[in-house]
Amino acid sequence: MPLPLPVPDPLPLPLPPGLFKALLVVTGMLHLLAVNLAVGGALVLSVHALRGRSSDREWVARLVPLLPPAITFAITLGVAPLLFLQLLYGDFFYTASVLMAAPWLAFIALLMLGYALVYRFVKGASIRGRSGLMGMLLLLGVGFLWVSVTTLSLRPDLWAAQAAAAPHGGWIRVVDASLWPRFLHMVTGFAAVAGLLLALWGGWRGHGEARRAGLHWFAWATLSQLLWGGWLLMAQPRPLMKRLMHIETMEGFTLWISVAAGLAAAHFALKARKGEASLKGLWLPFALGLLSVLGMIWNRDQLRDMALEALGFRSCALPHATDGLSFVIFLITVAAVALLIGVMVRWIRSHANEVAP
Amino acid sequence: MNHPVWDLPGLGSGWIIGIISIIHVSIAHLVVGVGAWLAVMESRSREGGPDMALWIQGRAKALLWLSGIFGAGTGVGIWLSIGLVNPTATQHLIRAFVMAWAIEWALFAGEMATLVGLAYFYHRLKPNQRAVLAWSYALCAWLSLVVINGIITFMLTPGTWPTTHRMWDGFWNATYLPSLLLRTGIALVLGGLWGLAVSAKIPSTLRDRALRPASLFVLAGLVVAAFSAWFYFHELSSATQVALVDALKLAMGDFRGFLIGLGMVLGLAVVAFWGVMSLALGALGWSVGIRKLAVVLGLMGLLFAALIYAFGGEAWRALQHFGAWLKGAGIPGLTHGFRWALMGLGAFLVPAGVALGTLLWPRFLTRFMATVALLLACWGFGGFEWIREVARKPYVIREVMYANGIRKDQVEAYQKGGFLAQNVWARTFAASKGDTDLAKGEALFRAQCLACHTRDGYRSLKRSTAKFAQEDAIAFVQLLRELDPEMNPYLDKMPPFAGTDEEAALAGKYLASLNGK
Ligand code: HEC
Repeated sequence: MPLPLPVPDPLPLPLPPGLFKALLVVTGMLHLLAVNLAVGGALVLSVHALRGRSSDREWVARLVPLLPPAITFAITLGVAPLLFLQLLYGDFFYTASVLMAAPWLAFIALLMLGYALVYRFVKGASIRGRSGLMGMLLLLGVGFLWVSVTTLSLRPDLWAAQAAAAPHGGWIRVVDASLWPRFLHMVTGFAAVAGLLLALWGGWRGHGEARRAGLHWFAWATLSQLLWGGWLLMAQPRPLMKRLMHIETMEGFTLWISVAAGLAAAHFALKARKGEASLKGLWLPFALGLLSVLGMIWNRDQLRDMALEALGFRSCALPHATDGLSFVIFLITVAAVALLIGVMVRWIRSHANEVAP
Repeated sequence: MNHPVWDLPGLGSGWIIGIISIIHVSIAHLVVGVGAWLAVMESRSREGGPDMALWIQGRAKALLWLSGIFGAGTGVGIWLSIGLVNPTATQHLIRAFVMAWAIEWALFAGEMATLVGLAYFYHRLKPNQRAVLAWSYALCAWLSLVVINGIITFMLTPGTWPTTHRMWDGFWNATYLPSLLLRTGIALVLGGLWGLAVSAKIPSTLRDRALRPASLFVLAGLVVAAFSAWFYFHELSSATQVALVDALKLAMGDFRGFLIGLGMVLGLAVVAFWGVMSLALGALGWSVGIRKLAVVLGLMGLLFAALIYAFGGEAWRALQHFGAWLKGAGIPGLTHGFRWALMGLGAFLVPAGVALGTLLWPRFLTRFMATVALLLACWGFGGFEWIREVARKPYVIREVMYANGIRKDQVEAYQKGGFLAQNVWARTFAASKGDTDLAKGEALFRAQCLACHTRDGYRSLKRSTAKFAQEDAIAFVQLLRELDPEMNPYLDKMPPFAGTDEEAALAGKYLASLNGK
């Protein structure tokens, strides 16, 4: 039987698909950075809060209040890529989500509950590590559901079997081999990025403990990616894996540059651990780490396109009929909002020293 | 449906959207009003001193909590649930309106950023900067309503879009303006009620300053909403108007029985409410002594006993009437929905009363009263949204796409060439059950009927076809194939069956099998 691919919607896109693709990648990267900060931050901070070392207390208490706004940013920045994803890859995304509808819908409950628990992580002077940990686990659940749907969306050959096994969209019955390594790869990435940002904060604020702890998290999480990342690579379908193994392909190049940047960043992070409590020595691991993360996010996008291309689908081939007016209004709105935020940040910073945060 | 169908037994999947969106839509409108109210408070805070400033920051934090967690969370929830319940329609809407949603997203980002700025850095901002930010927040929230409103009203009155397929032709449609006014009015009502609820318990010097603008918001909002509801109705097509009026008349039913019964129930409720309130106030150490309370309650009890003694028989019959009205034996399910919606619209009287009362006698307002009024207003708003959804049926986008995701322009091809032959997911489902006649019938049922019916839960087909023999069920679905309203009286409620005559027979067989026939 041929694959159950829905008939494409006949309406054209209002702009060239490449432009939407660019919007998807850019907003998606911003979203993922915010998620890294929020969920990775909750992970690192709740571990330190529960370990309860007195030397950690102060910086944990100062950083925990940043988590709720980080989640707010993550959600806000997540709406845009969700929109563009549906526009470009709707048939795959909708089909996969309907096939596991019930767990997929838990997404919302997990998100709101997780957020509420992280919000309770700190209250006044007391730190509730367990609340933070629970909230973080629920938010990881959101991540797991996301990975499940996107993984299933790339495997139309599994759809009929999943639909037959779960006719009411109950639990996920049919699992692609890459689901678990993908999830672990992602979670470890959260911890690494959060560690890196923690180190930067520690260096900036002259907090030796925080700086050291952050570098520690970053370096070890990144090194352990050899394990999860390697597993994920092995779990790819043969032809995809072959392309990834060759550095002269676009996808292979992105992958191996990112791996190299990550390893180099981990190396410099380990070296910088002994340094003084300042930003010195942090810029190199930061730049390399950022390069690696962004490269990996991009690589993920390439992987999706490769998998879909094998099915005969190319998002860049979707029909379009340009509607310039809407795009101009969009740009004006974005500019106005950016200006508003810029003014607000200036106001806040110009009074930074008058009242302590 | 072009995609697989989420077959949720019992309530049916549409209810998921209903529940999530009533919460989301209420919050989304509420924050517009609260934003404007906060901005007004901010401008009034200069005379209010540091207490007032601290209090306003607290309110901004509460708003962030509400809109950042629940507003944004349920907003994502709507995206996910409409994608699950009607992926085909969601995809079509996104194709048509992606840029409107992109613009709305930018405004949403502005909303969140200004709110985070206000809530977290309040004390680093000068008073006039705070006012600017609060107004910017309210403006962004309102502008996102301005954008979304175009899409929601498009679904009801798509204007010339079905022929031009240009976004702005659908966006600026007949109901755009009345709907925007109505939503703005509702936003003021909800925001004002929130203002009342959060200011009810604060020290009295601040209290008056906070309560007055909030109650004015409610009253002004109600006036705007009432006017624009009338305007809205006038912009609907005359067929829709007639259908709505008929449905509302049917829902009113036996009006006298209804009024008397409602009067009794409300009277009892008021007495009970006063009793509980005075008890609660007494418990809070207010000046109502237990003895005074007992006297008041006792007197009221006596009064009621006397009333019941005098008019007992009449009242009892009226109550029975009311009970029968509520149960509505022999009344179609849709009418029940209209009743709930009507009662919700009636419930708007409570917020009006609370706001007016607060203007006149501010000290009697309690948080409980304001909260109840807020919830009732949300119910009324939900009633309006429900009526709007019904007015759109059987379409999800009027004149373009039916509620089951089948486009109007696809019906002919499906009726000629067969639905199963042209719909991959119906075929996949039938194959998963062995491609028997019943499996094919069920596949057709899932793709074309499940959007509005369930097997044996909400709007159950098992129940409504209980008396059908197999031939009747087959004839019924074959009748649904007719595109001529003279022949097919269901065309204003249900989409035409999009399949061949034989497929209609398969679906009919499946329907009959629900009752074991
Ligand atoms: C757009 C939503 C919608 C769709 C799709 C839909 N129906 Fe209906 N159906 C209704 C409504 C509304 C009623 C009237 C119920 C009421 O008044 O309470 C109804 C009533 C019925 C009744 C009872 C008729 C009567 O006179 O009592 C049957 C039987 C029925 N539908 C079968 C079907 C079948 C079979 C399908 C699929 C081919 C279908 N419906 C698709 C909305 C829908």
